Amino acid sequence: MANNAGDDQYLPIAILIDELKNDDALRRLNSIQRLGTIALALGEERTRSELLPFLIENNDDEDEVLLAMSEELGKFVPYVGGPSFGHTLLQPLEQLSQVEETVVRDKAVESLCKVAEQLPNSSIGEHFLPLIKRLSQGEWFTSRVSACGLFAVAYTRSTAAQQTELRQLYTQLCHDETPMVRRAAAQKLGPFAAVLDRDAVSRDLLPLFTDLTSDDQDSVRLLAVESCGAFAAALSKDDCSASLLPVVQKFAQDKSWRVRYNVAAQMVPLCEALGPEMTRAELVPAYIRLLEDSEAEVRIAAAGKVSAFSRMLTPPLIVSQVVPRVKELANDSSQFVRAALAGVVMELAPQLGKQPTIEHLVPVFLNLLRDPYPDVRLNVISKLDQVNQVIGIELLAQSLLPAIEELAEDKHWRVRLAILEHIPLLANQLGAEFFQEKLGPQCMRWLEDQVASIREAATKTLQKIAQEFGPEWAKEHLVPQVLGMIKNPHYLYRMTVLVAISSLASFVSQEVFVSSMLPVLVSCAKDRVPNVKFNVAKVLERVAPLVDASVVSQTIKPCLAELSEDGDADVQFYARQALYACDNIQMQ
Amino acid sequence: MAGQSELDRWIEQLKRCEPLKENEVKILCQKALEVLVEESNVQRVDAPVTVCGDIHGQFYDLMELFQVGGDCPQTNYLFMGDFVDRGFYSVETFLLLLALKVRYPDRITLIRGNHESRQITQVYGFYDECLRKYGSVNVWRYCTDVFDYLSLSAVVDNQIFCVHGGLSPTINTLDQIRTIDRKQEVPHDGAMCDLLWSDPEDIEGWGLSPRGAGYLFGGDVCSNFSSNNKISLICRAHQLVMDGYKWMFHDQLVTVWSAPNYCYRCGNIAAILELDEHLNKNFKVFEAAPQEARGAQSKRAAPDYFL
Repeated sequence: MANNAGDDQYLPIAILIDELKNDDALRRLNSIQRLGTIALALGEERTRSELLPFLIENNDDEDEVLLAMSEELGKFVPYVGGPSFGHTLLQPLEQLSQVEETVVRDKAVESLCKVAEQLPNSSIGEHFLPLIKRLSQGEWFTSRVSACGLFAVAYTRSTAAQQTELRQLYTQLCHDETPMVRRAAAQKLGPFAAVLDRDAVSRDLLPLFTDLTSDDQDSVRLLAVESCGAFAAALSKDDCSASLLPVVQKFAQDKSWRVRYNVAAQMVPLCEALGPEMTRAELVPAYIRLLEDSEAEVRIAAAGKVSAFSRMLTPPLIVSQVVPRVKELANDSSQFVRAALAGVVMELAPQLGKQPTIEHLVPVFLNLLRDPYPDVRLNVISKLDQVNQVIGIELLAQSLLPAIEELAEDKHWRVRLAILEHIPLLANQLGAEFFQEKLGPQCMRWLEDQVASIREAATKTLQKIAQEFGPEWAKEHLVPQVLGMIKNPHYLYRMTVLVAISSLASFVSQEVFVSSMLPVLVSCAKDRVPNVKFNVAKVLERVAPLVDASVVSQTIKPCLAELSEDGDADVQFYARQALYACDNIQMQ
Repeated sequence: MAGQSELDRWIEQLKRCEPLKENEVKILCQKALEVLVEESNVQRVDAPVTVCGDIHGQFYDLMELFQVGGDCPQTNYLFMGDFVDRGFYSVETFLLLLALKVRYPDRITLIRGNHESRQITQVYGFYDECLRKYGSVNVWRYCTDVFDYLSLSAVVDNQIFCVHGGLSPTINTLDQIRTIDRKQEVPHDGAMCDLLWSDPEDIEGWGLSPRGAGYLFGGDVCSNFSSNNKISLICRAHQLVMDGYKWMFHDQLVTVWSAPNYCYRCGNIAAILELDEHLNKNFKVFEAAPQEARGAQSKRAAPDYFL
């Protein structure tokens, strides 16, 4: 056996290589995913002379295997001997970039780009450019589609003459008879523009862009829209306003709603590229039209950009142009439009400032807070703090408190939760007396909510309120009310009281804790439900460090000792864990 | 063997919807067998307990269920089967429930549904999911071995009989269920099959099931079984009900369904049945988890041919 030790070391590799040819696709896949390991074991030379030819011959496999192969080959430059041998990977990847399945081709193109980045300039001219040329002029459209993705990486590494040829090839692709190829050309136009100098972009690519934007196929126009942002960045301001703006304005009125949708989705990067002045002067009407579009999908995309778009505008412009549309959208017939608006409309407040917010936006907020659709209400509430910063809590409380009281009992628990999470903020601003009057009783009702997460969140909120208003206030307004709930006949509600006791323990005086809360805990140790008992143990463990050693030894430990002999395994477990923790405190 | 701290770590990991490693699944399943083998075919459960129906791999909706009903072990749970298949996360769903079972055997009860079977999971998704997530079928083998040990039914405080599907013409008493040798693949017919496959229907006596397994049973069958066994309620799952729960036979039987928006498309709400320590019944209904609560994976945009 000892003699075979050397062989054993290579055995797994041998198996992997064998399994490259296995009949079971799953095993081939497994092997392909470890192609790097195989190459490492074979060494650079055998990888080039044996493994790659093998892969080139066996490229008629399941798509999943080919996808894995495309991915692995992208990382293969070190395994074939570094950049100077990188070109040996081009042939297998070229084959993969022509297969029928799109995901395989896309992955192969991605890997081709990765490999090309590492190639020396000489290999680019000698091997990579001919590859682009072959693919661009391939008979079957799949190869021409793949070619479109390779131009950007090769361009800057080529000579002036080669660059001219590349631009010509790309022109052909943009005018290809197959829409799929034109789509790919439209999609990659932005990245390609990014590596060309301005003159070449405006001289050679802009006409192509204009052609693609008036393509018969809306799926081609759609992708051309996505290049707008990148294109704007690659052009001079003059070219932008002369050539790009008309295109965008035309797109915003395209007869296909998918194109208009994409314009709405691309609006913000486009405005950023064109700058605030051109946005204000030229794009506002186009954007307003999208907000009023007849298709709900378009309005959703546009409504979601209200605040990001407005950042490019001045407050008067927002008030005169955007706000009237916002008021309309708040009553839109589509709940999804209203929800998209509700998610961002609060962000307008800091841009507008206090007075215009009160005048124009607060009515919209109130409107959306009463929306029949819960997502709309929820989206407004989750951004309340932004308005708070602008108009101040007093005004907010005055105008919104009635709505908040209503939402506190909303039938959707996430709406209740969102309100509950804003309560500490309101408490801080409203002051103890006003808070107790308006929201105190509601906080107690949340402790008995039907939904467990609301009860849990309520205990955390109570803790923050106790912290805010101090131990004396808590002793009077929180402790008796909370402890009164321990009589609930339902174990889950009794357990909420235990959690509340544990949250409040550090925010009341030790005297209050020991005289009123601890006895409740001890009595719950005799509850009939094991869950209540092991929660007593957990709470006792948490509160033990807060009280005098005498209380631990005279009250807490005896109680835990009894629980640790309970018939239920979980009660025993948590009681023993708590006892152990108590012993540790005492040792310190 | 897995210690409690390791189990706690697994539970935390699974709650983030991250599956365990293959060898960890193996250990968890071995441990689960040791726990489950001790259980009766009619597992005794003490109230209070929250009874849940089908989950079907809808992991994020299970998280929603726990948010509404309370976390295990704070709340006691009884799940009436069909943990796997159809949803995207059968692996994470079943392993989380199993890890909770091993960690807190007295706080959570799992009984077998018709989808806890080798044959069914090969058709409805669990087998493929295991293969995709682990690259081998070992995890599927470990889990299906555990399925064979899951109890067939439960009875809460000797009064509420819980079973995945329903009754069987060959079963009159709970003792007859207790004599079944359950540690096997779900058979194509017979008592064990019927418990997991039958449905209640507004008929008299027994009828043929359109499912091709199990039977349809009427209100009279339900009444007889309940009075023979001094049962006040039969609680079962197995059928989608749009409101999450549905009473039948003058409140002698209830269907509980816990997969909201079943298959991500049915538009139904889900329910759980909270039984307190006095056996008071309280249904809690809930909707599917919102998109933000579903983690990154399902946020993938639809491919553009959907537009």
